[in-house]
Amino acid sequence: MIPPFEYKIPKTIEEACDLLWQAEGKSKIIAGGTDLVIGLRNGDQSPQVIIDITRIEELRKIGEMNGVLSIGAAITHSELASSSWVKKYGKVLSDAASEIGSPQVRNLGTIGGNIINASPAADTIPPLMVLNAMGRVVSKEGERQVPLYQLFKGPYETNLKPYELLTQVIFLKLPSDMRSSFVRLARREAMAIARMSVAVVFQIERGKIEDIRIAVGSVTPTPQRMLEAETFLKGKPLDEASFQKASHKVSEKMISQSGIRPTTSYKKPVVEALFIRAMRKALEEQA
Amino acid sequence: MRQVGIEVPKVDVLEKALGEAKYGADLPTGELLFLKVLRSPKPHAKIVRIEMDEALRVPGVEKIFIAKDIPGKNLVGTITKDQPILASDRVRYIGDPVALVVANGEEFAEQATKKLRVIYEDLPAVFQPEEALQPYAPLIHDKGNLLLEFHVIKGDSPRGFKEADVIVEETYTTTWVDHAYLEPDAGISYLDEQGRITVVCPTQNVHYDQKEVASVLSLPLDQVRIIQSVTGGGFGGRLDITVQCLLALAVFHLKRPVKIIYSREEVFQITSKRHPLKIRYKSGAKRDGTLSAVEVDILGDTGAYASYGSTVAIRSAVHATGPYQVPNVKVRSRMVYTNNSWSGAMRGFGVPQMAFAHESQMDLLAQALNMDPIEIRLKNCLRVGSETATGQTLMASVGIGETLNKVKEWRERGFFSKNNPKRPFIKKGIGIGSMWYGVGNTGIANPSTAQVEVDPNGEIRLFTGVADIGQGSDTILLQIASETIGVSLKDFRLIRADTAITTDAGATSASRQTYISGNAILNAIKNLKEVAIGEASQLLSIDEKDLFYEEGKVKSRTCLTTSIPIKEIAKRCGRVIRGEGYFDPETTRLDPETGQGAPYATYAFATHLAEVEVDLETGKVRVNRMVASHDVGKAIHPKNVMGQIMGGVAMGTGFALMEEFIPGKTTSFVNYLIPTSKDVPEVIPIVVEEKEPTGPFGAKGVGEPALIPSAPAILNAIADAIGERIYHLPANLERVLEAIHKSKQR
Ligand SMILES: Cc1cc2nc3c(=O)[nH]c(=O)nc-3n(C[C@H](O)[C@H](O)[C@H](O)COP(=O)(O)OP(=O)(O)OC[C@H]3O[C@@H](n4cnc5c(N)ncnc54)[C@H](O)[C@@H]3O)c2cc1C
Repeated sequence: MIPPFEYKIPKTIEEACDLLWQAEGKSKIIAGGTDLVIGLRNGDQSPQVIIDITRIEELRKIGEMNGVLSIGAAITHSELASSSWVKKYGKVLSDAASEIGSPQVRNLGTIGGNIINASPAADTIPPLMVLNAMGRVVSKEGERQVPLYQLFKGPYETNLKPYELLTQVIFLKLPSDMRSSFVRLARREAMAIARMSVAVVFQIERGKIEDIRIAVGSVTPTPQRMLEAETFLKGKPLDEASFQKASHKVSEKMISQSGIRPTTSYKKPVVEALFIRAMRKALEEQA
Repeated sequence: MRQVGIEVPKVDVLEKALGEAKYGADLPTGELLFLKVLRSPKPHAKIVRIEMDEALRVPGVEKIFIAKDIPGKNLVGTITKDQPILASDRVRYIGDPVALVVANGEEFAEQATKKLRVIYEDLPAVFQPEEALQPYAPLIHDKGNLLLEFHVIKGDSPRGFKEADVIVEETYTTTWVDHAYLEPDAGISYLDEQGRITVVCPTQNVHYDQKEVASVLSLPLDQVRIIQSVTGGGFGGRLDITVQCLLALAVFHLKRPVKIIYSREEVFQITSKRHPLKIRYKSGAKRDGTLSAVEVDILGDTGAYASYGSTVAIRSAVHATGPYQVPNVKVRSRMVYTNNSWSGAMRGFGVPQMAFAHESQMDLLAQALNMDPIEIRLKNCLRVGSETATGQTLMASVGIGETLNKVKEWRERGFFSKNNPKRPFIKKGIGIGSMWYGVGNTGIANPSTAQVEVDPNGEIRLFTGVADIGQGSDTILLQIASETIGVSLKDFRLIRADTAITTDAGATSASRQTYISGNAILNAIKNLKEVAIGEASQLLSIDEKDLFYEEGKVKSRTCLTTSIPIKEIAKRCGRVIRGEGYFDPETTRLDPETGQGAPYATYAFATHLAEVEVDLETGKVRVNRMVASHDVGKAIHPKNVMGQIMGGVAMGTGFALMEEFIPGKTTSFVNYLIPTSKDVPEVIPIVVEEKEPTGPFGAKGVGEPALIPSAPAILNAIADAIGERIYHLPANLERVLEAIHKSKQR
């Protein structure tokens, strides 16, 4: 049984910020509710006020300006997956969104909820990390822009204050000559949290890798960029040997973050394989 | 009028499609009290004290019941009565019921449950069957931790192994599996107009429920009435008591209507599970592939309570050889108590676990002998005249060879796809799984009864105690009745699964209802025809022996134009005419020392052929397609048979690849994965009809057989793809990858 609460439906960001401020930490934002309602039902969450942000026009928009793509926090995964802008300027993100849960979950779940829920397995976070995305956070105290990776404190924990609202996610449009891909492994074909995921973005210049970004999901306490592998690959040719060596840097980093566990013997070879697969997929898809 | 063998619309389908069917939780609310159960968080502990003052102060709380409020016998169980309705002195697994809260509303009941305080004193617990058998292991029940040991012994197995040219020996393990029926357990109870305690809920056996409720409340049977509500699946999980006794206990004391709805988490935590079995299996074969001996040792975990533990121990021993002739057999099967979640009946009663083992063994033998997997099975499979491991000679309807031939045709047609050189990390494989399954209970009486009556107003009523749990018995039994009486299906009214107006048909389990209750209905109709002929003889003043029954009418043998429809007979008599039927399959008791005997009147057979693809880098397995060939005797309703096969393959895919319940850890569908529509392979169902002379229109059963061969076929296909075998179910990502690495090290 879910304890009683007040339900507010603000129409503007300002109104939402007022409500959040007034609630003095006893409120919870709801977007799709696909994470929050589970918390309400099992007693992890018992807010006195629930603030529904899905009627705020500005949070429901995908916009493009001065080379920047901005995605409203209340955009659903279905919308991400089918948006021609996202497909064009951040395909790695729309690909990831299209693999989340099931049609029902994609129709309800939002990008903002996925980020703020901060699950290690959140599927949109590794793609957003390789897109160098920033979050725009608004509250009564003002507005701040935070690189996404700085938002996360640990599994299911962010730096957001209880009265802060994520309004947009923004990133520079990915140039058309950049390659990207997302690969994901789960225990079944739908409705399954990722066992592991890898997102990559890179550029090829004269047969060499430039400007590469790699992020993994589900294998570290929060999704993470794999900086050592990135540094290693810069300027390297696109060959199996480089991929292999870089894949070891990925698994070393994973182990340094998560420690050796009974599952490591499975995760190590598989994260390496998925990384290499992501590289190949990126090469094949846009070749 | 042909009704059998055609695809009439299922009689319950419209109501379900329109959302009008009333499942347990949909039953009328109104002025009902709500029940909630407090459960043990400990696997093994003494209950020192239950403090309920604070809980009783929660507004809306009517009453809190504990063990001492149970007026009768506080132990239930289908075979061994060892499971309390409310734990009295100790709890034996995480989930054991301790107290029952009754309140004016679900939220109050829930609040009060949280305010109850139970003081426990931990007892040493045991979670491994091997450990539970050690002399100093903590006792879970006073009589000891070994529930049952059973043997099947035939011929001379050491000699059989001496004659063998190859011997393979391996150990296989399986884990807990949940039924995952869609409808959580729920129900209502009230005093009916005759003052009987009446329980309405989903169930697989109303007459069993009635006996247990009466015993728990110390009431005569006729003071308890059980009515089956529309039931959203069962798969064996609703053969045991779920909500019945709790509901009835509250009504017994309070005399007011009550309702209970289990949460999904509760269903996972406290309903029975498939028994984990550890199977050591040794097989010997001659150079030409002929099996010479098998030795099998089975150790099962029944958890905290017996439930169907002994049934599973016996049935898995009896089916241990698989559908093959083996001259020398030695099987030992033991079932052991632990402090794990309790295991019970689940689609197949141990046979799916055994099939995983015997089918892996068959492939290993084929490999060692360089034989084709289908050929080695064809060489050994049972035929008419074969003797089974229990010494039973099969007289008819042995379709295993034909099911093998059918899948062989598909294989030879080049139906299966090849590896794609562009995706070198994906390897394809195909695999065979065969099975046999004895229809009905094992070597014990398991009769069914039925009545058919014709009303003076022309209504024809079929009375059956059979619970349709979605598998389609309502439709099939009506088809059988309609065709045999020769009256349209639409003229029938079905009265079913209500202990006040129907008689015992036994459980909807062991794939027995088409065969056993179908036969009971045939006998009822035979009796009805005799009665009708008797009445017609009076009405027409013709001697009985000059009359016969045909196509809904009693006809004269001498005068072709003289006949009287059965409805007309009832009308002219001015009273109901009625036929009574009974059927108990012919079986013999199994010898307690050697397990020899004829435990079933008939057996179903099946073979599946799976195509899988394995991701060599991640261990991910996809089942692409499954050719599923089943000898059902006769398909009374072919579409329904195919539906059972499709569902069986889906469930078998889960059993093979992902389903695993971990006591104390698994909570719900969040961490218990079953296949989604995207995980289920394309299924090509093939119906083989080797008619069973004693079956209604030749029918046997298909409910459990549908599931059994899938997992073995998938596991054999994985082995074919990666060149290494997996011995533990489920074949999840980690196990498959480990096997792949092992095969590379070779
Ligand atoms: C069956 C099922 C399958 C799933 N499968 C997947 C999957 O495959 N991959 C995956 O990544 N996830 C999956 N999820 C998780 C979930 O659907 C996603 O995380 C989803 O994106 C959450 O979005 P939401 O809008 O529903 O969030 P909500 O539940 O509405 O909110 C989640 C959290 O974020 C906060 N929040 C939401 N929006 C904002 C905002 N704008 N500013 C500040 N705080 C905010 C809320 O207060 C809450 O704490 C699944 C969930 C279910 C139930």
